[in-house]
Amino acid sequence: MNFDYSEEQKMLVQSLERTLAKTYDFETYRSQLATKSSHDPALWNSLAELGIMAMSLPEAAGGFDGNHTDIALISAELGRRLVPEPFVSNVVLSAFVLNACGGDSAAEQLGEIATGERKFAVGFYEPGERHNPLALSTKAEKTADGWSITGHKAVVLGGDTASELIISADAGGASLFMIPADSDGLTVRKYQLLDGRGAADLIFDNVSVGADALLGQAGQAEAIILDAVDRGAAALVADSLGAIEEIIDMTKEYLRTRTQFGRPIGSFQVLAHRMVDLLVDYEQAKSMSMEASVEADNEDAATRQKAISACKAKVGAVSRKFGKESIQMHGGIGMTDEYALGAYVKRLLVNETMFGDTDYHLERYSSL
Amino acid sequence: MELSLTAEQTAFRDEVHAFLKESLPEDIKHTQTSGGHLSKEQHQRWHKILGDKGWSTPLWPLEHGGTGWSPVEYAVFDEECYRMGAPRVLPFSVSMLGPVLINFGNDEQRKRFLPGIRSGEDWWAQGFSEPGAGSDLASLKTSAVRDGDHYVVNGQKTWTTLGQHGDWIFCLVRTDASAAKPQIGISFILIDMRDPGVEVRPIITLDGSHEVNEVWFTDVRVPAENLVGQENMGWTYAKFLLQNERIGIAGIGQSKEQLVSLRRLASAEKKNGKPLIEDPSFRAKLSEVEIELRALDLTNKRMLVETERGMDPGPVSSMLKIRGSEVAQRLFELKMDAAGLYALPFQPEAGDAGWNDQLAGTLAQARSAPHYLNTRKISIFGGSNEIQRSIVSKMMLGF
Repeated sequence: MNFDYSEEQKMLVQSLERTLAKTYDFETYRSQLATKSSHDPALWNSLAELGIMAMSLPEAAGGFDGNHTDIALISAELGRRLVPEPFVSNVVLSAFVLNACGGDSAAEQLGEIATGERKFAVGFYEPGERHNPLALSTKAEKTADGWSITGHKAVVLGGDTASELIISADAGGASLFMIPADSDGLTVRKYQLLDGRGAADLIFDNVSVGADALLGQAGQAEAIILDAVDRGAAALVADSLGAIEEIIDMTKEYLRTRTQFGRPIGSFQVLAHRMVDLLVDYEQAKSMSMEASVEADNEDAATRQKAISACKAKVGAVSRKFGKESIQMHGGIGMTDEYALGAYVKRLLVNETMFGDTDYHLERYSSL
Repeated sequence: MELSLTAEQTAFRDEVHAFLKESLPEDIKHTQTSGGHLSKEQHQRWHKILGDKGWSTPLWPLEHGGTGWSPVEYAVFDEECYRMGAPRVLPFSVSMLGPVLINFGNDEQRKRFLPGIRSGEDWWAQGFSEPGAGSDLASLKTSAVRDGDHYVVNGQKTWTTLGQHGDWIFCLVRTDASAAKPQIGISFILIDMRDPGVEVRPIITLDGSHEVNEVWFTDVRVPAENLVGQENMGWTYAKFLLQNERIGIAGIGQSKEQLVSLRRLASAEKKNGKPLIEDPSFRAKLSEVEIELRALDLTNKRMLVETERGMDPGPVSSMLKIRGSEVAQRLFELKMDAAGLYALPFQPEAGDAGWNDQLAGTLAQARSAPHYLNTRKISIFGGSNEIQRSIVSKMMLGF
């Protein structure tokens, strides 16, 4: 057993840390939010140049044949810096689906993800169906020269910036299709999430696509969908860890430096003990996040799902507690938009809820 | 023992109901039930309607415009207002300043300020907290120096709720910096926010709303007649103000209404093809908070009745605030969780008066996360729950 990262991984994280420290502080984050966009092409390109998009992708597509621990390391840094760029939707979900489905253009598209030049997003969830990626009302009907798609995909992460949308639809069972975002009959309702990351609702009204829009086999997509969601969940768990580490730093600093009644507030036992509880929770969450990053690549679906659900549920519960307690310990200042804490709390809320919330994963864990 | 309403109390509830049905403007009801932010005009219009009915200051002594309602009747009124979608009158003038003026102000001040409070025409803000004086309120530094028949005020207040609308602000200021204890040397003073030297700067909170403000004072000349009570006795008045706030502090009416809207949202949401509200694990959480609220409702009424009969009111408002804020926060949290994925799109203005954008999800879903985030404040403001626990422990445990 070892809990160490490889030398290559450490170097990657260091260069990512350095780049973000130079180019992306909290003020940059706030001004990006003010533009109402989740995406800054210059930042995206600089991330691509570091190789973070290519790291986990297959060598054949210009990648470095990495694994999910690379993704976890990168995600933690993006969470730590509140970077809203669509890393998870492209490099984790879309890349996994394209790779898993294969097909003539998959290698080329993976190459475009590796360089960051084209953006994809994956939509499984639908309105009114809680966190179940297999609940499908969207239909794909066979036509003379392809498919006609009708339905609604909810809160598609990265759907605001993607030019190609990969969605699940019922074509005699769960099936995956890739559809250009500018297709006739497709409405892409874009918005930003609580923390500034981008998403969209996709509304399909008899959208006609060619036969080649189908990815993989019709009706055979359930296993791929579940696997993709698990990978997304594992990435967000790591993202939360980065955010939590930042919250710990801010809260410890505040407890040390804020004085009331003539002494640092951290010297009051009621706050000190609560901070200690948070530190223990963090260690628990960190272990689970490591497990998630290793098990995300496990080909045995039952083992993988059990591990991912354990991690997502645990880190979700810890995140919720961190959000509440860190604001409470800060008092009023923790409630303000100008202070970074709130942005981290919102990042945690998005990570908790996306790809199955705590309740969903608790239930899945107990059913496995 | 009889724990349900008497015939008189039921008749009173019907009277409140009929009045609200007839008098509550549709637009105000709409903003309130949508969970959006009421405009200044909406707040003041509704305050005036209540004032004209004689119901804007129900807890004041009769001779100053009170209604003589018992605590139970007040609770009935409070709950009926929420049930009907009527906003509550803001506490700053009515519940905080009014009783201080009635008890410690002079006739001149009562004649000058009470009518504007009853009608809602004067918008009052509260100037207590400062950047360096939060939980340790007595360490406040804003100074008022006597200069002839004026005080000259310099300093900064913060977390001033809806101060952007303010005409007046009641402030705790330091009038004797050399006093032996920080609690001594504080005075309670009324400042016209339209005077030169008063500047209001917005603070945007993490839910994207503008409710609180910083208020800066630079050489503001305040007539000495605006001092309430005696110089350097302000801490006593402030303590009276905070303890006096116990009626309504548990937020029962609001929490009952939140419970109703939580049930509505959970009935509309689906889980495994069935309404979420039929899901056993969700039901268990719902029942847990519902039972807590049920207990709090009764505890609230019992304690208020007992304090009327002479029980020591000391720890009551702190106890009610602690548990009331916890129940309210839990309800908002469950609502956010019930909203599912559609809690995530950030739509902070959804439901505000005049808001007309396209929604992602329903309005209840859109409001759920901003409400959850916004209500983190209720265990912080007005004395954090940690401070409230210290107050109770001093009073009941002696340390």
